[in-house]
Amino acid sequence: MNKRIVIRITIVSFIVGLMIAVQYNTIQNPAERDTRDLWEIRQELSEEKKRHSELLSEIVSLKSIVNEYENDDKDNQAQILKNTVEDLKIRAGLEAVSGPGVILKIEPAMELVALGLEVESIPPDLLIRLVNEIYRYHGIYIEIDGQRLVHTSAIRDINGKTTINGFAINKSNVEIRVITESYEKAEKLYGYLYASTFSDDFYLDNLHLIINKPVTKLTIQEYDGKLSNTFLVENNKGE
Amino acid sequence: MWLPFLGLLLGLALGLLTDIQIPVVYENYLSIAVLAALDTIFGGIRANLQQVYDDKVFLSGFFFNIALAAGLAFLGVHLGVDLYLAAIFAFGVRLFQNIAVIRRILITKWEERHIKKGENTV
Repeated sequence: MNKRIVIRITIVSFIVGLMIAVQYNTIQNPAERDTRDLWEIRQELSEEKKRHSELLSEIVSLKSIVNEYENDDKDNQAQILKNTVEDLKIRAGLEAVSGPGVILKIEPAMELVALGLEVESIPPDLLIRLVNEIYRYHGIYIEIDGQRLVHTSAIRDINGKTTINGFAINKSNVEIRVITESYEKAEKLYGYLYASTFSDDFYLDNLHLIINKPVTKLTIQEYDGKLSNTFLVENNKGE
Repeated sequence: MWLPFLGLLLGLALGLLTDIQIPVVYENYLSIAVLAALDTIFGGIRANLQQVYDDKVFLSGFFFNIALAAGLAFLGVHLGVDLYLAAIFAFGVRLFQNIAVIRRILITKWEERHIKKGENTV
């Protein structure tokens, strides 16, 4: 084949290759267009800022604990360690806690019962959704019908009965106690729950969800089961 | 014969590595242009094998075909008729025909060589 012809064809095939690659790029990963407007971006920014400040305050509190450990003498260190253990116990749900919060009540809707409708147990799905929303809106500790919710708590249906931590809860007249960090947060939670569709959702199951005004102090009992720990082992050495 | 393939691979590599993209609106035009370019290449190879290759025809065909195909697609978009289908059909048919001709020529050449070899050994 003539050398000149080969070079011509090579140049053209180079261009073809380039075109095919560009086409492939365009089809495989189309450039995503940013369609957010100024307000959406501002909103996202404010959420990130909130996260930022939360992380900063956490860092500050952890730093102060580290400082205490480093500066104080031996006796005090034991006390600090005890305090930390106590704090962790409270967070895990092994101690009773009290603080500002909201009390919710679930009761059968009397007018529907009078009509002859039967009261069924509270559907676990609805309860799970309620709990998730409470946690999302700054509820820290939750107790449902005397059952403290801990990280391993399961809300589920066992033989037609709604159970929490393996114990059946009342069919009706269930009290949900929620503790929040501050009274303001309790008010926020109250406002959110009041505006949410939960009342309607419960009414579909012939139940009334009563959301009481936030209170400055309420108490939640400790978890009375045993928390199993599969990762940490007690070390008796040096005691 | 391997040089055009090297060129093709080089073009592909360059395009994939630089990650060039075109707006989605022009995707159709590019796909037709690719088809036109492929048609030109195979036409050129066929012409070369048939010893009727002409530089002017080859290069003008390359650019003219691409421009015509893109123009047809553009016109089609504005008239609301899918005219680019006409280009795809025309180029597709020609592509197959060219490849078929190339195949026949290569097979004939190979057979001739085979027969010659056989005569030499006998």
